[in-house]
Order: sequence, then structure tokens, then C-alpha cells
Amino acid sequence: MSKVQSQRTRPSHVSRALAADRLGIPAVLFFVLAGVAPLTVAAGVIPTAYQTTGLTGIPAAFIAVALILAIFAVGYVAMTRHITNSGAFYAFISKGLGRVAGVAAALMALLSYSCLQVGLYGAFGPGAAAEAQAHLGLHAAWWVWALGAWALIAVLGLLRVDITGWVLGVLLTAEILVILAETVSGLVHAPGGHIGFGTLSPADLTSAGLGTFGVLAVVAVLGFVGFEQAPVLAEEARNARRTIPLATYLALGVIAVVYAGASWAMAVHAGQSHVVAVAAKEGPGLLFGLGGGFLSATAQLLFLTSLFAAALAFHNVVWRYMYALGRENVLPAALGRTGANNIPKTASLVQSATGLVVICAYAVAGWQPMSQLFFWLGTTGGFGILVLLALTAVAVLAFFGRDSHGEGAWCRLIAPALAAILLTLIVVLAVLNYPTLLGVGKGDPAAWEFPASYAVVGIVGLGWGVLLKLRRPEVYATIGLGAHAATGQLASAVDEVRR
Amino acid sequence: MARLTGTGLVADDLYLMSHHEVTGRPYLHHRAIGVGLAGALLAELVLAGSIRIWPEGVAPAGRSLPAGELARSVLALVVSERRRVPDWLAFLARSAERDVARRLEHEKYLTLAGSRRPWRTGRWVPVDPDCAFAPLFRAQAALDPGKPVTVAGATLAGLATACGLGSRLLPYGPKGARRWLDETVRQLAPDLRELIAQTQAATDSLLLSQRV
Repeated sequence: MSKVQSQRTRPSHVSRALAADRLGIPAVLFFVLAGVAPLTVAAGVIPTAYQTTGLTGIPAAFIAVALILAIFAVGYVAMTRHITNSGAFYAFISKGLGRVAGVAAALMALLSYSCLQVGLYGAFGPGAAAEAQAHLGLHAAWWVWALGAWALIAVLGLLRVDITGWVLGVLLTAEILVILAETVSGLVHAPGGHIGFGTLSPADLTSAGLGTFGVLAVVAVLGFVGFEQAPVLAEEARNARRTIPLATYLALGVIAVVYAGASWAMAVHAGQSHVVAVAAKEGPGLLFGLGGGFLSATAQLLFLTSLFAAALAFHNVVWRYMYALGRENVLPAALGRTGANNIPKTASLVQSATGLVVICAYAVAGWQPMSQLFFWLGTTGGFGILVLLALTAVAVLAFFGRDSHGEGAWCRLIAPALAAILLTLIVVLAVLNYPTLLGVGKGDPAAWEFPASYAVVGIVGLGWGVLLKLRRPEVYATIGLGAHAATGQLASAVDEVRR
Repeated sequence: MARLTGTGLVADDLYLMSHHEVTGRPYLHHRAIGVGLAGALLAELVLAGSIRIWPEGVAPAGRSLPAGELARSVLALVVSERRRVPDWLAFLARSAERDVARRLEHEKYLTLAGSRRPWRTGRWVPVDPDCAFAPLFRAQAALDPGKPVTVAGATLAGLATACGLGSRLLPYGPKGARRWLDETVRQLAPDLRELIAQTQAATDSLLLSQRV
């Protein structure tokens, strides 16, 4: 009897072949981390955040945000099992809060990822200019180097994705090793051998009031951008129920440990009371100074490649979003068409054009690249991701509120509700304390213009969503389907004929 | 011997369209070509009246057996167990490019050229560039309202666009070719339309999950 049963339950030749071609946990984890570009955060975001915000609770913020995102991920990955086009925030929001809200979320996501991508030129330009001046004796303005990187990314964005994926993989491994080495070196060579834990204390999260946490959380969430991409591989995963959640939690853990460790080591090495001043003076050198000569030189070189890799990764994220929306006809259909090698050239070129316009605008206006381009646009992108995370948490609640889909109370109700409350609180605190986040005075227009841009885009998206619902119901029916837009459009057309 | 009229099989024409007519180099990522050819192999069975395609899966349509060893082996496979179309596309895509190339080699449309580098495998190269280019004209008819189009030609054009060959095909059509192609595909039988839509969805899925 057992023999008969084993024959019946044995997977078929087709099942075995399909399973062998699917991705396991290491592959999904690697995919997620490859888009994170750790040195960009460790050497770029963290020192600039210490300097701009004047707050020291950054290490604790990475741990706190990792815990909040872990709670968020419970409902997020649970919903992944029941929808198509998972991995894109707007797909979750379309399913949970309706397609009109989905269109608004899609445009907000485009703005967020675009800010994150374009902002990176503001760190690459000055970094490359300084390196070229120090080692090659070349003198050129930051924007010349930024334009060089932009041109290369514009070309690579039109090439095959597997080439860039391989390059990103090598860089990721080297970056994590260098950050860990810098961290260990910084802690081993702490001044006077004293290792303080103050910056890891939860008390530091609210050192200047509750609003401090909102500012720190926006900075910390920048480090985690990319973790939300794991569900995009749900259909390619060997066992989506196990592979996607595990890869998501592992990615959160790795990112939290690496960034909290690095930012803590910087504070220990410079001294908690001096870290803000040292960051203002040394910038990325705050991290590079933790290690010796060779390690420091390697880190400086990798910082540039990391910025470049991050800009390329976000460039690819933006065109994928545009492509999915073009396929659904939410954005012009030209964005959803591919050229040779299956690359959506129009979508890629549109993002390249955006980068060119922003770099030229900053160069002509003479605005500061590191703080006003890299940090301001970067944190604004991070803020947008926070808004989307909060909306997604509410969408998960609404989705499971209509039908439990067999999920337990923790996955469908408790964790999403907790995540929605915490993330909404962070968004509110961040809006109220945006001047601190940007390091500007309370009356500075930038402090309301940047967060308000999401409100404007959101309202435009809502309006567009309503128009699609009224004027183009066949397009409206496929919002949020992404790769499955083709089958959705067909089903919609068949329904129309039947009516 | 290669002829300008081709073998009359959709997958053979799609293979030739997705590779350069002289060098044999692919125009698309191999995974995308595999998905397109998998769709084309299933389309051959639909056109032969051997299977029906539904949104839920594939079902045998009658007793008619398709011609050719490859088509018969695909038929035996897809009727052997019940699966969704995306599963069959993913499974067949793994070996479709090689299988169709061998069929074309057997029909004398392709020849396997060795590589000068010993660590690289050879590449299938068209025997006659004119014959290799001809499928583009067969698909082109689906882009032009002034030309008569066959069901196989419309299916070929639909599958070619679905797997990413639109930028290769559409420049050969008149103004408004894309709209006319959509209209032509809309007039195909429901199972062929379903197959083209599923092939498009599978290709988009590969693209959005960074696998092409």
C-alpha cells in the first residue's frame, strides 16, 4: 500500500523539471540584496544623516525599523500568496483599496523610485570628482562626473539585464565584506578602548521628542528599500509559501545588522557626542576612517561603484514600473513595449531623460549636490516608500477583511493592523518634522514642497483612476495585474462581447 | 531542401524570425525565445485540431494527430496530465529552442556551425538567408489590412509580438500596423487568442522578475 501511495504522490517528470528551474532561498535573497547597494547607505546616507539631522539614534533606528518592517512583512507576504503581480506596491493597494487608489499609488511609487535613482547622481558626482582629483590630478566639476555616470547608466539600461545583474552581484559581495571589516576595525580601535552602546539605546530614538523617531525612521527606511521586491519572484520561487517569507526576513535581518553595526561603529569611533560634528567635517570619510589605509582605499573605490550600481538598480526598477503600467495602459502604451533583447527602451529612455534634466538643473542653479540632491531627493524617495508601506499595510487589512483566504488572525489582522498604525504614525511624525529631516529652518519651502509632491501626485493619480473607470473600463479592469495584463485584457474583452 | 514557402509550421517560422537570417544570432533573450516557441508549439497543435486551449488549461480536441515527431511528442505530453497553460509554456520553453532548431536542421533550413572557441558550443545558422527571412513576410500580412492573412500567419504575428519581436516585425508594416495586428488577433479563435495572451503574460513575467 505504501508503495502505491508513494507512486501516486511522487511528482511527475514535468513537476520535477519545473521545480528544478525555480529559485531557492539563496537566489531570492541575492536578488533582493543586489538592489540594496550597501555602501551607498553606509558611506553616503548614514554620515549625511548624522550631519543633516544632528541626531545620533540612527543605529537604534535601523533595528526599530527592521522590526516594524518584519511585522509589516507578515501580512505582505501572506497577501502575496493570493494575488498576481506581487512585488509592486500598487498591485497590493489596487487589490486592497481599489483600482483608483492603485493608480495613485503607482504614480507615487514612480516618483519615489525616481527620486531615489536621480538623487544618487548627487553623491556620485562629488565622490568621483574628489577621487579623480586626489589620484589622477583631474579637475572637473561634480556634474561632469555625474553626467558621465548618467550616460553609462543610460546605455547599460538599454542592454541585457543579466549582464548588469552579474555586475551587481559581485559588487554586493565586496561591499558587505568591506563594511563588515570597517565595522570590526572601528570597534576594535575605539578611542580609549571604550565601546558605548548609547546610540543603540531605544531612548535615543526620541532624544529630541517623539518627532525624532519619524525623522530617524525615514533615514533608516532608505536602507531597507528593495526588501519589498522579494514577492516579485513568487511565481519563480521553488516554494512560494516558504521561500518568499524566509528570503524577506533574512534580507531584513542582514540589512539591519550591517547598517546598525556600521552606524554604531562610526558613533563609537568618533564618540557619540562628536559624531555629528565629525560627519559634517568628513562626510563619507566617517566610514572610511574606521579602517586602515588599504581598507579605506578599497572602501572609497567601492563607494563609487556602489553608488553607480544603486543608480543602475533603481533605473531598472523605475523602467519595470513604467513597463508594467504601460502594459496595463495606465501610462502610455509605448512604455509597455520592448525592443531588441526584450528591453523596454522607451521606459528606460524616459528615466534617463529625467536624470539628465535634474543633473542639468542642479548644475545650472549651483545647488549643493551631496545635501540638496543626494540627501534631499533620497530621503524624499524614502518618505514616499514609507507612505506606500503604510498604504499597503492598510490594503492588506482591507483585502483580508473581505475574505480571510484561509489565513490566520496574526497574518491577516493583527500584524497588518500593528504595521498600519506604526507606519502611519511614522509618516505623520516625518511630515511634522520634515525641516529636521532636510536640515533646514521651519519656514523653508523645501520642508513642505517635498512631502506635498506626493499629495499632488496622489491626487492626480486618483483623478486619472476615476477617469479610466468612467471612460476606459477595459483598461480600468486590468489595473494592478502587471505581467498578467495581457490575459486580463483578453478576459475583459470576452466579458464585453458576452454583455 | 529549404524553400521560401517554409515548412508551414508556426514554431519553425517563429524560430527563423527570432534569429538573424545570416549569422543565426538571437534577437531576444533565450528565455523569451523559449516562451515564444513553446507558445508556437502549442499553436501548431491547436491549428492541427489536436488540442483546445482554455483559460484553465489544455484539453485534447479529437483524434487528429499532428504531423511530425516533435508535434506528436508535445501532444503526448500535454494530454498526459492536467496543467495550466503557463506551466506548459514554462516547461516547453526549457528545450523549445533546441527542439525546433533540430527540426529545422532536419528539414535543411539550418546547419550547426562549430565555434572557433573550443569551450563554446556551436550555433545553428540558416542555410539560405532568403528562406530564413521569408517568415517575416508571412507574418507581415497580419499587419496590413490590404493583404490576405492566413490563421497561421496571424498566429505567428501575434506570438512574435507577444514574445518581444514587435520591434522587428512592425517596421515592415504600414502606418497603424500595431492597431491592425491587434484587430487581426482579436478575430482569431478563442483558444489561439488565449495562447497568445498567455505567451505575452509569461514573457512579461520573465521581464518583471528580471529573468530576461
